[in-house]
Amino acid sequence: MITAGLDLGTQSVKAVVLKDGEVVGRGKAFSGFDPAKAAEQALADALKEANLSMGDVEHVTATGSGMDMASNANSTVSMMGADAKAGVHIFPNTRTIIDVGAEEARAVKCDDNGIMMDFVVNERCAAGAGAFIEAMARALEVKLEDMGPLSLKAERASSINASCVIFGESDVVSLIHKQESKPEIARAIFEAMADRVSSMVHRLGVNPDVVLVGGVAKDVGFVTALKKKLGVDVLIPDTPDYSGALGAALVAVKRVKKV
Amino acid sequence: MKSQSEEKKYMPELPEKEVEELRKNITATSQRVVAENIEKMKKTDPHRPEGMKYFDEIANFSMREKEIREAKQKGKKVIGYTCLFAPIELILAADAIPVRVNSGWYDASKLGDRIVPVEVCPVVRSTIGAKMIALSPYLELSDALISVLTCDGMTKLGEILSDYKPVWAMSIPRVKDSAQSTRLWIEEIKAVKGQIEALTGNKIKSKQLKSAIERTQKATKAFRRLQELRKGPPVIMGRDAMLVNQTYMWDDIDRWTEKTEALCDELEKRASKKDWACPPDTPRVLVTGTPMIWPDNWKVPTLVEEANPQGVLVADELCSGERLLYDPVGVDEWSMSDMLNAIAERYLMASTCPCFTSKDGNEDRINWLLNKIKEWNIQGVIYYVVRGCMLYAMEYTRVKKVLDRMSIPVYYLDTEYTREDVGQMKTRVEAFLEMLSARIDI
Repeated sequence: MITAGLDLGTQSVKAVVLKDGEVVGRGKAFSGFDPAKAAEQALADALKEANLSMGDVEHVTATGSGMDMASNANSTVSMMGADAKAGVHIFPNTRTIIDVGAEEARAVKCDDNGIMMDFVVNERCAAGAGAFIEAMARALEVKLEDMGPLSLKAERASSINASCVIFGESDVVSLIHKQESKPEIARAIFEAMADRVSSMVHRLGVNPDVVLVGGVAKDVGFVTALKKKLGVDVLIPDTPDYSGALGAALVAVKRVKKV
Repeated sequence: MKSQSEEKKYMPELPEKEVEELRKNITATSQRVVAENIEKMKKTDPHRPEGMKYFDEIANFSMREKEIREAKQKGKKVIGYTCLFAPIELILAADAIPVRVNSGWYDASKLGDRIVPVEVCPVVRSTIGAKMIALSPYLELSDALISVLTCDGMTKLGEILSDYKPVWAMSIPRVKDSAQSTRLWIEEIKAVKGQIEALTGNKIKSKQLKSAIERTQKATKAFRRLQELRKGPPVIMGRDAMLVNQTYMWDDIDRWTEKTEALCDELEKRASKKDWACPPDTPRVLVTGTPMIWPDNWKVPTLVEEANPQGVLVADELCSGERLLYDPVGVDEWSMSDMLNAIAERYLMASTCPCFTSKDGNEDRINWLLNKIKEWNIQGVIYYVVRGCMLYAMEYTRVKKVLDRMSIPVYYLDTEYTREDVGQMKTRVEAFLEMLSARIDI
């Protein structure tokens, strides 16, 4: 059976193609102004990698904030539902899935079957999400991908307020004026973010195994800070940015079987 | 030079032209929103009861505004209130018209930002904004206002509105289950009775008070009948029931009772034909938290009932909802002092507002929620809070703990007086309903 999952995120669209439960292709495209087109592109790339064509796919399920715009999808599933499915599929003992994307951070609690039992989403500000790191990297004149490794060089962290992206940025500027070092400021940024995310997870309860997915899971600076704050090990899949799309593709399998 | 008493304490003088323009624009938006909401409600339930037509009409402000204006010309007084602790039996007994004046207009809250910071509860900011441009017909028509000092926002709202109208502040005890609290509250009830009599020139006698109590008891009876019908498979959508409930805040009480009874007759027939408002296995949701006020602040019930997967609201724990009407005044003997005591008790003891605490905290609210969940077979709870609504936000932690123990899913949905966050909210509401459906599926 061949199914596909699409994750229409705020910054990029991810696609995953599954053949009998195994990932055979992945694709990614920038969301831009035309998420529907990006979804087609991402799926076409994933199919190309899998040596398959659209006609082979039995069911496409979309997720992500733009899921209703995916014209090539047969059904949709919430991002939290997709997170839970993917988390348990990769790590069967998963009970808590944290997903940190570009604009949103969320945590999902699930049972043995990957069924969501509870979830929390960050407040409206993106201060606990990837966009925060981007804004701070700009303020520090550091490349986004260098932020994490840079933060690991610091022996201590400065302190900033991550309740708001804009205020956070002005905090960073005052630290620059105080001539604090870049690594220390970078570490402060990740610790402030991890603080926000971990208080959110605590509202749900920290039930191991804890899995971290979403694009920000690729940032070593954030991962280090989050592990420290939560006080438990955090598992990360090989391609955490494709986790939502994988979850959607798994839901598609279930929907084919149901019909 | 103006004397000190003529100086406004809070409110600025706005240029008449600006006021005119703002009122025109926001009124136009309001009319559009009223029509849209009703259209959406009709679409959700294609067999929407005929009896809803009456409530749609009352929901449109202008008909009732005209009636109240005419009554005023004949010498009737109108008494507005901001919290539901205002004893409307006393208002009715003095032959005056009670109206609730809290604002549900999103755009008006932006005007309120000129007077108080954005951190303040939007229900309060919006009511201030509505007053700035004379937007709310019921607030404008009020001759005096009863301001019950419940939360911080409501306390200062009364003070701000006193720039325009006589405001009678009623001090409500925060610990409700003590003898001294009861004494204080009865004194407050007696004091407000004196104010109402002075304004209307009508002395409230036992006979009139008895009749007023009987009228609210009838309304409560009709409302309870509607709520009973909602215990079974959905015979009415939650938004329709909520609209019936809300119109009580400004409608003529006797006509409201009559129309609600008629609606219930129709719903009973509908139930006997098993013509449900939505599929009987639709997840049953209860909503609790900050008051939701018609017409703009209708987004949560709309999101729930238009979601994919769909949910249906079958009960609420809102002061703009069931709390208005669910409890009757219980009188043993129809003497003046007994009736006043019964009124005092009904408003104080029956309320589950989070402004209260006692040795067990706000235990009454917890028990009320648990009872609703059991009796109305609730599968999930949406805990709705607007930013700045401190008391509801804080009590969530306790409610969540209790519901978690009972394995009742609850979702904390925080928002603002704005339309722009509907997309984000939809994602959350749909994930929650998907979770409920998955549980039902097992």
